[in-house]
Amino acid sequence: MSITVLGVNHRTAPLEVRERFAHERREVPGSLERVLAAGARGGVLLSTCNRTEFYIAEPDEAVPDAVWAILSERLGGDRSASEYGYVQRDRDAVRHLYRVSAGLDAMILGESQIQGQVRDAWETSKAQAGPVLHRLFQSALLVGARVRSETGLATGAASAPSAAVTVAARIFTQLAGRSALILGAGDMAELAATCLVSEGVRVTLVANRTYERARAIAEQLGARALTLDEAWEHFADADIVLSSTAAPHAVVTWDHVAPAVARRGGRPLCILDLGLPRDVEPAVAQLENVFLYNIDDLQAVAAQAAAERRRDIPAAERIVSEEVERFWAWYGGLVVVPVLKEFRERLDRVRAAELERTLRHLAHLSPEDRGAIEYLSHTLLNKFLHQPTIALKEAAQAGRGYGLLEALKRLFGLERRDDP
Amino acid sequence: MVLVPHLIALGLYALATALALAPFAGLRPAPRALTLGVPLLGLAAHVVGEGLFRASAVGVFTGPLATGLVGLALLIGLAPEAPPPSARGAWSILHITVSVFGLAMLALAFIAAALYLLQFRELKAKRFGPVFRLFPPLERLDQLNHLSLVLGFPTVTLGVLLGFGVQYAGGASVDAAQVVWGMLTWVVLGWAVGVRVVRHWAGRRAAFASIASFTAVLLVYVALKLAAPGTQRFL
Repeated sequence: MSITVLGVNHRTAPLEVRERFAHERREVPGSLERVLAAGARGGVLLSTCNRTEFYIAEPDEAVPDAVWAILSERLGGDRSASEYGYVQRDRDAVRHLYRVSAGLDAMILGESQIQGQVRDAWETSKAQAGPVLHRLFQSALLVGARVRSETGLATGAASAPSAAVTVAARIFTQLAGRSALILGAGDMAELAATCLVSEGVRVTLVANRTYERARAIAEQLGARALTLDEAWEHFADADIVLSSTAAPHAVVTWDHVAPAVARRGGRPLCILDLGLPRDVEPAVAQLENVFLYNIDDLQAVAAQAAAERRRDIPAAERIVSEEVERFWAWYGGLVVVPVLKEFRERLDRVRAAELERTLRHLAHLSPEDRGAIEYLSHTLLNKFLHQPTIALKEAAQAGRGYGLLEALKRLFGLERRDDP
Repeated sequence: MVLVPHLIALGLYALATALALAPFAGLRPAPRALTLGVPLLGLAAHVVGEGLFRASAVGVFTGPLATGLVGLALLIGLAPEAPPPSARGAWSILHITVSVFGLAMLALAFIAAALYLLQFRELKAKRFGPVFRLFPPLERLDQLNHLSLVLGFPTVTLGVLLGFGVQYAGGASVDAAQVVWGMLTWVVLGWAVGVRVVRHWAGRRAAFASIASFTAVLLVYVALKLAAPGTQRFL
């Protein structure tokens, strides 16, 4: 019995490779069925933009090849997915999943989105997971929650888009209901807008140099599209301006926005300039009640949060280690029970056969005497089995049961593999 | 943590009361008079403000201020005088209580304004240190300042009117300087509230106005004390 994880992540494969491995929800059961058909008792597929990992319970030797074959087909050509992959077994596999769930293995340390992705993977794979992986994923979610509640690993904003939310939250009493104006159609602005929208901010206007592109994004966000020249007057009423144009020079200038800002009546305006090169002229920051932050400023906020998070890595790793041992003790116990049962049954069959043979030669004995001999055989068997049983259970609890189990199987010819 | 200085302040106030130093006992006014209002308002700022404004950082300032004022009162007032007859009537008690609460609210407005300016400076300078992380959002400090001013000024006004009641009820005699300077201070306070409510000042300008008006209260108090030490007066 064992648990294995095979997969790729952001450290072992570039984005263009990870994109090919990523599975949509509807594709998961098919891939898992292929893995189970290759010889495994259970499987869960965790597929996000940063990782694609197969968690397998009791894989036969053919299973790794089956997994790499599934991924290689997606890669195309004659390249093998195993070039980008890794394999972890048993305790290391459990530790790997716990670290993933806790955000310790994430691209952005401590990011919490992975917790939901682990839950989704578990739910999508429920039909194929089997009892061990059910328990493993359930405990992984608890480990993630424990790390986040007992350490500071998830505190602060560790990315520039989430730092934008942190900065805006230092200016406004609450972000819910605030209006945002987006200038340009850069990816970073879209990401930051998503973070703000998740806090309840309403994107009301999207302005771009080309109106058609603005309209496409505006439709996605339920906003109104404008050209850039139409946007300046809206600096009078927007609370947050997110800018990420592809312009080679500053497009938001003092001359454009000062008249509109003057009409704000002392209300603060937060401008988040995510463009590179910068979209907003630095002089705009001199306007009263205008708070301007560029990508470097936001990254400074993110770096501060990331540094604080890194301080909590040892505490998070301690929790992960504790939980790995706890799971392994449960899993070890699970493995020991069927082997012990078979061991006892085997010896009891020997006892019963020998007793019957002996009693056949002692037909003159009274029923009471025969009963006494049978009682003696039971007692002797129990006495002989007591110490090995205790030792095996204790070793399993301590996570050291495998060596003893293997010895037991070999010495007594117990080759049957029971379900946990 | 924020509650601790408030509780210390209240403990010291209880001690002051036991020593007959509390403002009700002798009408030997501020800073002992303020010591009742500030810790109580600090607690209110913490309990109510935490719910309404999530501005517990304000308590970080009101707590030590209250504790300091009570400590100061204990230090300078360890030899209490006999309470004057003017302090014994219902008018006097009402006058002092209302005035104390009004001034404490103005003190809270002052603190909120000071925090606002600090946070404003840090946000403008893009410094993401402890002030950025621990202080309430800028807008919340502005709201707290607004509310404290709007509630504090009418309360102080009522306290002043009750002061006239004390005088006409045959209580303390008030000299002309006290009346003139007191009214001048009231006008300055009224200006700070007026520009917020009528002219809709907000943000930094409103914070400066609030600070200026409370500073005027303090300066007039100190000036009157220096000009005529020992005089029975609240303001």
